[in-house]
Amino acid sequence: MNPDDIKYHREHAWVRVEGKNATIGITDMAQQQLGDIVYVDLPERDTETDADSELCEIESTKATSPVISPVSGRVLEVNEDLGDSPEIINEDPYGNGWIVVITMSDPSEVNDLMTRDEYEKFLKEEEER
Amino acid sequence: MLTRITIVGSGPGGYVAAIRAAQRGARVTVVEDAEVGGTCLNWGCIPTKTLIASTDALEMARHAADFGVELYGEVTYNLPKIRERRDKVVSTQIKGIRALFKSWGVDLIPGRGSLISEDVVRAVRKDGTTQDIRSDRIIIATGSRPAAIPGLPFDGNNILSSNDAVLMHEVPASILIVGAGVIGCEFAFLYRSLGSNVTVVEMLPRALASEDEDISSLIEKELKKAKIKLITGARIESMKGTAEGVTAVLSNGQEVQAAKALVSIGRALNTEGLRLEDAGLAAGKRGEVPVNDRMETIVPGIYAIGDVTGIMMLAHVASRQGIVAAENALGGSVRMDYTAVPAGIFTRPEIGSAGLREHQARERGMKISTGTFPYRALGKAHAMGEIAGIVKVIADAGTDRVLGVHICGAHAADLVHEGALAITMGATSKQLGAMIHAHPTLAEGIMEAAEAVHGNAIHLPREGK
Repeated sequence: MNPDDIKYHREHAWVRVEGKNATIGITDMAQQQLGDIVYVDLPERDTETDADSELCEIESTKATSPVISPVSGRVLEVNEDLGDSPEIINEDPYGNGWIVVITMSDPSEVNDLMTRDEYEKFLKEEEER
Repeated sequence: MLTRITIVGSGPGGYVAAIRAAQRGARVTVVEDAEVGGTCLNWGCIPTKTLIASTDALEMARHAADFGVELYGEVTYNLPKIRERRDKVVSTQIKGIRALFKSWGVDLIPGRGSLISEDVVRAVRKDGTTQDIRSDRIIIATGSRPAAIPGLPFDGNNILSSNDAVLMHEVPASILIVGAGVIGCEFAFLYRSLGSNVTVVEMLPRALASEDEDISSLIEKELKKAKIKLITGARIESMKGTAEGVTAVLSNGQEVQAAKALVSIGRALNTEGLRLEDAGLAAGKRGEVPVNDRMETIVPGIYAIGDVTGIMMLAHVASRQGIVAAENALGGSVRMDYTAVPAGIFTRPEIGSAGLREHQARERGMKISTGTFPYRALGKAHAMGEIAGIVKVIADAGTDRVLGVHICGAHAADLVHEGALAITMGATSKQLGAMIHAHPTLAEGIMEAAEAVHGNAIHLPREGK
């Protein structure tokens, strides 16, 4: 079940906003598509990232896939637990499977993201395409 | 009258040249001041791969549970036994070369060789006695040795060379490796498996800078996965011994502390004391003996092969150069061809490369097409539990001829020879992709990467889907 207190990006990433900070992860759909995640190439703290560009890379038994940052900013925190246990993303993509917290440089970018309902509609359209 | 040929040095260049010369009927003398086999057998290829085989077994045991195999008790290693196994492997190979020399009638003279004229080699023994060997042909095969950072000599205690490291007297709690080239990266994975905290510092912007960039970025990720710290684009400004080990200051201002440092920044060529000038020769800027593609120096009858030529520091290149030199010294006419030299790097996972790297092709202004294929799309890789890796095929965009094959993944160094053959034979990527590859094997990755050059890999999703 996709939560409704977060915003979604078309590249299957999500954002939970608290003030200027945004917690970022990948959606349930993304983790299902990837299958068993074996490694997350976590970015370094203080890395600058732009909206719609690659934040880091995730490796699963099936593919190596970029995580696209939904917003611009600077990496404030990374989820070090993923280093030894990347499978947390499979188990809890919207909770303990968060990837980074970013201090946003342009919080208005959040307005461009989708709500849960919009994202689910988008997934449906993608499937039919 | 038999041609008398004298070879100075018995590494993979010299000993191979000796046997080939004997096969061609020459009277062969080899002068060697250490053990036969040179750096390769005594300090390099063979002992390091033997140590790595021990850590491969260790890693397999650590991951036994992934395969449904249960081990009871702690998985650990016994360093003296690892060293013992290494020594046994090396001594078996040494005996093998000595036996081949005996069988082919090659004379082995212990001593340090030097040229005292165009046709006399002098062997100086440890006790100072000398022996002069009159020679119709001379092959210089004196090799190379670890190069130190200027002002920071190896001390065998805190600041190690690869020769010290291969002795594996101990496994330090932490080690700073200077240089992320072939030797630095192999030792990084080796020490990490044995439990050291490893930091690698590289002056260039990427690890394994002589490899294809895709291979470098994959191995950089694997270093990270193995929790080996890599710092690129930084030089060692200073390094000093402390009570706990060494402290190094880097050009980026960072300070690195470690129990030991391994300096693997390159190799120095062994021409000092060789008295090249007495034979009418002169060393080049890096200390190399310049040769042409027939391995001839500027002095007729004197040849040079292997690392000392400064061309390509690979044991198997030295061996081929040795064969070329021996043939030419005895009336043949053979030339070296370096277009498809395969090479292996024994990192975890392994690397195998042959031919042009993408950046080399682009620097030469060539128009190329590339295809890559991930190991994780191969059934065999999953069965083996070795899914990290890629195969990359580089082809000429016009003729489709294969120009380069680069593999990072399990058994890459063995697999890459198919690529080297394709390059040598002038095969196209379409021919390589159309050749049936056995299933299930890792070699299927080469077929798929060749197909991917034209967007035809079967086991890859459609672009953008």
